[in-house]
Amino acid sequence: MLRLPVVSRALSGVAHTKGYGAAAGNVRTAATTASNLVEVFVDGKPVLVEPGTTVLQACEKVGVQIPRFCYHERLSVAGNCRMCLVEIEKAPKVLNINSVGKSTHWLLWLAVMVLEDLNPVPVAACAMPVMKGWNILTNSEKTKKAREGVMEFLLANHPLDCPICDQGGECDLQDQSMMFGSDRSRFTEGKRAVEDKNIGPLIKTIMTRCIQCTRCIRFASEIAGVDDLGTTGRGNEMQVGTYVEKMFMSELSGNVIDICPVGALTSKPYAFTARPWETRKTESIDVLDAVGSNIVVSTRGGEVMRILPRLNEDVNEEWISDKTRFAYDGLKRQRLTQPMVKDISGQLVPTSWEDVLTRVAGALQGAQGKDVAAIVGGLVDAEALIALKDLLNQLNSDNLCTEEVFPMAGAGTDLRSNYLLNTRISGIEEADLLLLVGTNPRYEAPLFSARVRKSWLHNDLQVALVGRKVDLSYTYEHLGESAQVLQEIVAGTHPFCKNLAQAKHPVVVLGSACLQRDDGAAVHSLVSTIAQNVRVTSGVQDSWKVLNVLHRVASQVAALDLGYKAGVEAIRNNPPKVLFLLGADGGCVTRQDLPKNSLIIYQGHHGDIGAPMADIILPGAAYTEKCGTYVNTEGRAQQTRVAVTSPGMAREDWKIIRAISELAGITLPYDTLDEVRNRLAEVAPNLVRYDDVEEANYFKQANELSKAVNQTLLSEPLVPPQLTVRDFYMTDPISRASQTMAKCVKAVTEGAQAVEEPSIC
Amino acid sequence: MASAAATRGTSAAVKVVKPIFSRDLDEAKRRVRELYRAWYREVPNTVALFQLDISVRQGRDKVREMFNKNKHVTDPRVIDMLVIKGKMELQETINVWKQKTHIMRYFHETETPRPTDFLSKFYAGHDP
Amino acid sequence: MSIFRLKMAASLVRLVRGGLTRSFNITRSSSVVSARCEATTTETRPTVRPKDAVTHNQLSAFGEYVAEILPKYVQQVQVTCFDELEVMIHPDGVIPVLTFLRDHTNAQFKNMVDLTAVDIPTHQNRFEIVYNLLSLRYNSRIRVKTYTDELTPVDSSVSVHQAANWYEREVWDMFGVFFANHPDLRRILTDYGFEGHPFRKDFPLSGYVEVRYDDEVKRVVAEPVELSQEFRKFDLNSPWEVFPAYREPADAGKLEAGDKKPESK
Repeated sequence: MLRLPVVSRALSGVAHTKGYGAAAGNVRTAATTASNLVEVFVDGKPVLVEPGTTVLQACEKVGVQIPRFCYHERLSVAGNCRMCLVEIEKAPKVLNINSVGKSTHWLLWLAVMVLEDLNPVPVAACAMPVMKGWNILTNSEKTKKAREGVMEFLLANHPLDCPICDQGGECDLQDQSMMFGSDRSRFTEGKRAVEDKNIGPLIKTIMTRCIQCTRCIRFASEIAGVDDLGTTGRGNEMQVGTYVEKMFMSELSGNVIDICPVGALTSKPYAFTARPWETRKTESIDVLDAVGSNIVVSTRGGEVMRILPRLNEDVNEEWISDKTRFAYDGLKRQRLTQPMVKDISGQLVPTSWEDVLTRVAGALQGAQGKDVAAIVGGLVDAEALIALKDLLNQLNSDNLCTEEVFPMAGAGTDLRSNYLLNTRISGIEEADLLLLVGTNPRYEAPLFSARVRKSWLHNDLQVALVGRKVDLSYTYEHLGESAQVLQEIVAGTHPFCKNLAQAKHPVVVLGSACLQRDDGAAVHSLVSTIAQNVRVTSGVQDSWKVLNVLHRVASQVAALDLGYKAGVEAIRNNPPKVLFLLGADGGCVTRQDLPKNSLIIYQGHHGDIGAPMADIILPGAAYTEKCGTYVNTEGRAQQTRVAVTSPGMAREDWKIIRAISELAGITLPYDTLDEVRNRLAEVAPNLVRYDDVEEANYFKQANELSKAVNQTLLSEPLVPPQLTVRDFYMTDPISRASQTMAKCVKAVTEGAQAVEEPSIC
Repeated sequence: MASAAATRGTSAAVKVVKPIFSRDLDEAKRRVRELYRAWYREVPNTVALFQLDISVRQGRDKVREMFNKNKHVTDPRVIDMLVIKGKMELQETINVWKQKTHIMRYFHETETPRPTDFLSKFYAGHDP
Repeated sequence: MSIFRLKMAASLVRLVRGGLTRSFNITRSSSVVSARCEATTTETRPTVRPKDAVTHNQLSAFGEYVAEILPKYVQQVQVTCFDELEVMIHPDGVIPVLTFLRDHTNAQFKNMVDLTAVDIPTHQNRFEIVYNLLSLRYNSRIRVKTYTDELTPVDSSVSVHQAANWYEREVWDMFGVFFANHPDLRRILTDYGFEGHPFRKDFPLSGYVEVRYDDEVKRVVAEPVELSQEFRKFDLNSPWEVFPAYREPADAGKLEAGDKKPESK
């Protein structure tokens, strides 16, 4: 329904329109063809805008903000709150029928007729396209009166429960009624009340507060791609809800809390815990997937209260996934807070830093070369990675592995283009064909998937998938389950090759999940060849990248950039005497893989899978507690910042490794974060160029090298590990420790009613 | 003395800065020496009067240390200001307006020095 | 009161007769003041302070009179929007001006109600010393302001007003402004051994030391401050702030009558 055949790409962030807005939308697309700019006046100030710009956007261009509730720049225009009414003085010119030309839409005609009425009328700025010579009065008596009137109507049915409302302090209705509303009420009648809905364990609804702006409905159907929300009834009886009692089941559902202008949709885990003005905001990065969403961590009294998205057009726009937003309670549970050592009876007992560090240093001194090995997990920052690498290199060992496998055959990780999402997340918006291989982006990288949906919706992106059929929020052509399909595409015998050949900006995305298989190298090689072939046939210019790898864990790209080996095969083949696990909770290596007397050291922040099998535990800091560098799947270096101090005796990871090195007599040459980053810059300068994407190249050479791979493809289908929303919530130590995420899993399996909530919610 | 300074002050009003007491560095230094001498003489009395657990020697060393702390100052006005404050402290000490705790605060007995090298900082806590 | 008015009329006359030899700021400010007085009609809005043109004119006339008599020290005279007369003087003129205001028949500001300072770190002379005087005889108040920095002494006004003694001690203690010729300039509010001047803007809100009773040495000890509890700081901006333009105060220019910097000559 939403995906209409598009004439041209929708203008800057304004999505498709429906209903009343449709008139404006059509005008816009029709008028864009005329290149001349239209001059309008905002409070007498002249401004040149493109034809079809709305009044609100024209005002925004000169820095005049118009109050609004229903309008949101990333959603379609609804025009139903009427808060953006402004008075317009029309140019004395009479209607030139030819100027609207062949447009036959009767609504447009009506709109034009209304506009050309001689009396200046207030119009809804968000839905009304500007016409030549209009003078928009944003602060006239009539405008002010119109706003005040609208505000009075909105407040008529809005409860006066601001003191117990979680939106208090960040409420659009509160702010705007202070600025534009009346200071007294004439309302003596009874207020309407609406029954609250249970739409899951994340979003609390207080529907009496709803002002029917329909932002949540539009978000659900346009961005999230879940048509769960809608309105029922009309007039005073109008309600926003799911119609039948059901969960709002989306991986992006938390964003409706942010876009709700009032307190109708609020966060359930955050309910009644803090006020926005008393929290401290730390700008940070999310590490629970490989996208690296920009977040703001709100803290109070050394505790993370909530996580909010931060605007970054290149990565996450202004959305974040539910795991990012709600898994923070996992940071307070199952934490390793003290150093621990296994005693004779096999029990882990707490001890002091001096004791454990001496033990670890002693063990490392006794072991040299291939007796020592390290495995790093998915949440480790680049500073810890470089420190650990330097430490082991000092001991003549190069057995440094990541848990995630990446095929080392062919060019392996020597060429960066092999393992990055080269097109970048924002590059998807320019693509016209997307081939997904063995991945479920909706749950592996929800914001990447949201970008794909955006492009699919507005740009006619064609999507195809090789691998297990999954429920994506856009339609796609399913080419088959097994890797043999890839061979057919390479050979040119698959019917899809026709589409590939016609693509102008093709993108191929390989999920990192299928690289974990034994035939990973072969799959990578095939995909690389497909990408190279398509690139040639499409004739796209050199700056366009086709081959992409979509990672699932945050530390992988940084680890590969720093020269870690991907996969633990080397360690299984040469079991070391001392194994250092740095946040490795994947369970790739177990005690059975190692010799009997070997020593396992675990360093990390959660007692998850790695810690119980360790002999020595070193408590580290989680991502909200350290200043760390993470490189997302695009190769974009970003840094987290310290929002809270780590609990108990936990320390930053690189500091622990630095302390070990001093006791082991091989002091690493850095004492401060800046010095570590200087060292990072020596090894991989792109890691300290924050917010910058270091481009990768040599696709052709990588492809040439990959042809040397000769591995037989397995016949099993390519199945990404996260198939349904149930698999999405718990994927890493933090989200596995989170109660909220556990409730989500329960709710999606047993229904929203199965989760008990405290009575105050 | 103060009135003399004031008359001098007004007479020197044409200058760019108005001196507090001393017109040049030598005069300021003389005032510092006077103050030091007064403190030096007062230390035995103080130790006895306040029943301090320190020797006169320690007390005089502390006085010396406090004066040395500001030895880099060369601006006569800043020196004068420090002398004024030093005199005030001396007056408070001589008149026993201060108590033992105030005198002993100069010695920072209970403070643990902050760790400086990496390992001791690491053991001490989260702060860098 | 009648004498007061009479004399002021005389002063105005004298100002006219004296020609325009002295073109002070006063003339400018007073003309601005009078122009505004004419422009306003009777204020009826209950929340807006009504203008009292009579008081205003009296005060400005008296201000001009003072400036006329003490041209060496008075740099500027102004009447604030709350009908308060302010005289900005050079720091050298503290004794003469205060003596004049105390002893002149038409002034008789015999009570020093308050003496305080304001720290404005951005100014070249960061401290503003404020004298608030009261004339019981004429039921009138006047504010005298001068300026100084950390190192320039100001003449003590104790010789003029005994009441200034403790006020100046307070300013010395809180701001570190030295008053020359003060009979007993020493600390008044802070503890013995306290370092720094707490009302300076660069003095941290938490201070430098905290005190506690130490059981080992059996006395109160002072140690560098360590905040064991998060410092409360409210961030009043909404994360979804969409209308910052409307947040700015609309009446930013309200204080134009009162915030003329005194050090401008």
